[in-house]
Amino acid sequence: MTDLRIAAVADIHLGSDLSGQYRKRLEDIEHRADVLLVGGDLTRHGTATEGRIVADELHGLPIPVIAVLGNHDYHSDADRKIVQTLRDAGITVLDDDAMTITVNGVRLGIAGGKGFGGGFAGKCASEFGEPETKAFVRHTREIADRWRRAMKDLDADRTIVLSHYSPVKETLMGEPPEIYPFLGSYLLAEAADAEGADLFIHGHAHAGMEQGVTPGGVRVRNVALPVIKHAYAVYCLDGEGQ
Amino acid sequence: METPHYVAARVQRVLAEDDRTTELGIRVDVRGEHVFLRGQVPSEKRRRVIEEVAREATPGLRVHNEITLVEVREPGEEEHL
Repeated sequence: MTDLRIAAVADIHLGSDLSGQYRKRLEDIEHRADVLLVGGDLTRHGTATEGRIVADELHGLPIPVIAVLGNHDYHSDADRKIVQTLRDAGITVLDDDAMTITVNGVRLGIAGGKGFGGGFAGKCASEFGEPETKAFVRHTREIADRWRRAMKDLDADRTIVLSHYSPVKETLMGEPPEIYPFLGSYLLAEAADAEGADLFIHGHAHAGMEQGVTPGGVRVRNVALPVIKHAYAVYCLDGEGQ
Repeated sequence: METPHYVAARVQRVLAEDDRTTELGIRVDVRGEHVFLRGQVPSEKRRRVIEEVAREATPGLRVHNEITLVEVREPGEEEHL
């Protein structure tokens, strides 16, 4: 049986003060993992300059690097520039789509994007009332719909969803419950459950917990740097598929 | 005197929106004339800047910087799912 070794981290929040620091921790990653997933909030202010710092820090690793953006990476309206800079540096950036890589003969599908909030079943916003409220909820629904389509089209033995926002409440424990609707949405979990993902990686909740599970049984891991407290976490999936 | 509850909310908003900080994860508690900052950041420089911005936002109050540094350790044990 072939194990897939998935390294994952989020919320690295790189800026000029941390330039070169994170890279040191990625040495020898190829001996520990087959792929590195980065779950958003790569920068602090979302500037093009910070995007270049992130690209410098993550480029040229001996294993594939797949990333999504987070809310901080949108702050300066330079998100498209950041995506392009990262792609030019050989980093795959998922933007509500999916990709497949073959690792040790196993086809690993990775789907996702930034995600968004809205809250969790029974305690969430709905598309009702003012246009601003509707737009907020619609944004998440449309993202979840795109993820479902992307996962449906995947031809893979194993599937991982990579997101910035959380699909469940469990991994938010430690954050004030009042802000849960800004930390994630059950619609993201519903998409992963419907299409049968094997693992859901996210960040965003710095004070949350690492482990959770979706209502449909998909394992969830919050890999925000302040949560995992290591340069990255490594999760092993057996490559036999479902 | 401004109600402590609103002072805390204002400082938290400033820390999120000021370009020098853009920190969403800092907890701010105000007790009388004392402002307590708590949370984790990855560098000493960020820790100092957060304190500076909080001080600017609360003239006349005493700011206690209880923010700690996140230590990014070498990767640990892998987890088999």
